[in-house]
Amino acid sequence: MEPESQGPSSGSDIPLLPARMVNEFAYCPRLAYFEWVDGEFADNAETTEGRFHHRRVDQTPLRKSRKVEDDQPSEATIHQRSVWLSSERLGVTAKIDLVEGDAASAGLAEGTQTVVPVDYKRGKRPHTTQGAWEPELVQLCVQGLLLREQGFTCERGVLYFVGSRERVEVPFDDELITRTRELLDGMRTMTQATVAPPPLVDSPKCPRCSLVGLCLPDEVGWLRATHEGEAPAVRKLIPANDDALPLYVQTPGAKLGKDGECLKVKDHDEVIGEARLVETSQVVLYGAIQVSTQVTQELCKRGIPLVYCSSGGWFYGMTTGLLHKHVELRRRQYAAAADRERCLLLARRFVQAKIANCRTLLRRNHRAAPDTVIQELKCDQIQAGVAESLESLLGTEGTAARRYFSEFAGMLKEAEPGARFDFDGRNRRPPRDPVNAMLSLLYSMLAREWTVTLQSVGLDPYLGFYHQPRYGRPALALDMMEEFRPLIADSAVLTAINNGEIRTSDWIERMGSVTLTPDGRCRLIETYERRMGQEITHPVFGYQISYRRVLEVQARLLGRYLLGEIPELPPFTTR
Amino acid sequence: MRRHYLVTYDICDAKRLRRVFKTMKGFGAHLQLSVFQCDLPDIDVVRMKAALTEIIDQREDQVLIIDLGPTESHPIKRIESMGIKAEWEERRARIM
Repeated sequence: MEPESQGPSSGSDIPLLPARMVNEFAYCPRLAYFEWVDGEFADNAETTEGRFHHRRVDQTPLRKSRKVEDDQPSEATIHQRSVWLSSERLGVTAKIDLVEGDAASAGLAEGTQTVVPVDYKRGKRPHTTQGAWEPELVQLCVQGLLLREQGFTCERGVLYFVGSRERVEVPFDDELITRTRELLDGMRTMTQATVAPPPLVDSPKCPRCSLVGLCLPDEVGWLRATHEGEAPAVRKLIPANDDALPLYVQTPGAKLGKDGECLKVKDHDEVIGEARLVETSQVVLYGAIQVSTQVTQELCKRGIPLVYCSSGGWFYGMTTGLLHKHVELRRRQYAAAADRERCLLLARRFVQAKIANCRTLLRRNHRAAPDTVIQELKCDQIQAGVAESLESLLGTEGTAARRYFSEFAGMLKEAEPGARFDFDGRNRRPPRDPVNAMLSLLYSMLAREWTVTLQSVGLDPYLGFYHQPRYGRPALALDMMEEFRPLIADSAVLTAINNGEIRTSDWIERMGSVTLTPDGRCRLIETYERRMGQEITHPVFGYQISYRRVLEVQARLLGRYLLGEIPELPPFTTR
Repeated sequence: MRRHYLVTYDICDAKRLRRVFKTMKGFGAHLQLSVFQCDLPDIDVVRMKAALTEIIDQREDQVLIIDLGPTESHPIKRIESMGIKAEWEERRARIM
């Protein structure tokens, strides 16, 4: 059950197809494509349970139970676990859970033996006429064909359902063998394509599929269809708020170690906090924090990025496990980035969505937003849509940003006396007032969030379409975050100030620049994380989803767009 | 979807007890002696069961996994505490 590591190599010779992949192909060709060609894998409860049961098949048990295990069928002469067979002629390979042979037929004919492959399945026996679903039958049949190749007589196989402890006999009749060969051919053809087969349409298989979050079957299907008149609602297949959460360490001199299944943060031998690995999505270190190799290795193994920032919040870089295997996606990304037309198309869309979201934020939160500014922003939005070049687009964006920030102070409530929230336009490096300091910190957090998200879906965060690549700048992350700046960062700053979560005592002024105290920053990060966890109605698909998930869905949709599966990348704008 | 679970255990051997405790630390908050509060998606329940199965002795030890229902319905609010106030862990980003 473990994810196949080799995958198909480039070139004409197709590698041996694993029987398990044939199972996936029979279930859903798109699933098989993702796992086999793209090298994607995601676990869900079913796959994890399956692997757990298989681990017990694959190994001999370490501790024998007190009850002597002699209830095995006495006639079994062959009882071999975990048998790995391959055949160049058939072009398949399989790891068979168990091969049984019975003494009655063994040694009857010279040199041939009758054997039966046994495949372990989690759960209970499905109540269908054939005793099992087609994918399982086909997988078993491949194992049977492999055994025949080895010179054994193999007329039937057995599916063993662990959940109900039932054996289901599967005869290898001509019908099943023909179907198996058909699927093998189909899968070889699919392997040579560069684009995944289309998703299943409204299939009951999708909700329980472990790859549903990266396949986005209903969303992709919906975006592919041209919608005239009434569009059907999209099923909500992605959990809204099921995510692991980040761990931030900002105590200078703290040490990060691993203790069993937990991460442990120590400050001078005093434990200041613990975080469970299963609940951690990324580890963010501000300033000089020491990390043990055990932690780094464990995080790489689990695919949790380790992010390094300066104590002021500047994003230095990150440590991740191996690069994503989906080469085709990166190739498409590079091709798109080299094409000026497509860059402009995407860039227009990013800027338009950003201006739209800025405008919405003003209209919703400003005490009395001047109609002229609202109007002008609308004009900017239209103008961004027809910009002729990246340069003129940059100009439009700058103008719109100035208009927006000139009214930003109107969204702040009257603060406590003496509080200096006298926001007067955007400034940075260093920020000269608290609001700017907060905006800068949250923008860099959002850029980091996008860098992590893009890399985890297999895109290169450093090559963008609107922002041009510059050393060390995650250009694609900056592109993608444009429309989310007002929605997440600006909105979190408003919340922090208007709810009194950040006060006068939370910042220090030094030589005209302003920094947050560690305590103030801690509370601002909390506000930001709360915002990320907030559920909103998705503007395109209409279901409830958290911002954290929105970023992932948006990144995957960009991938689907670059691979040509959907005609355009839908902008994320709120009403 | 996440659900709340109370996990309690009785382990006969000191060494196994340590290992169960350490494993459970990775899945939930230590509430009382041998009692954990867990807030888990179903994949982590499977992981937890798998990890515990590897440790415990099926003939001597016992683990109870009590399902308190989906997290959205705030099942913890239905639990009353007497004596020392119970501290329920909330799921949020950790900042240290």
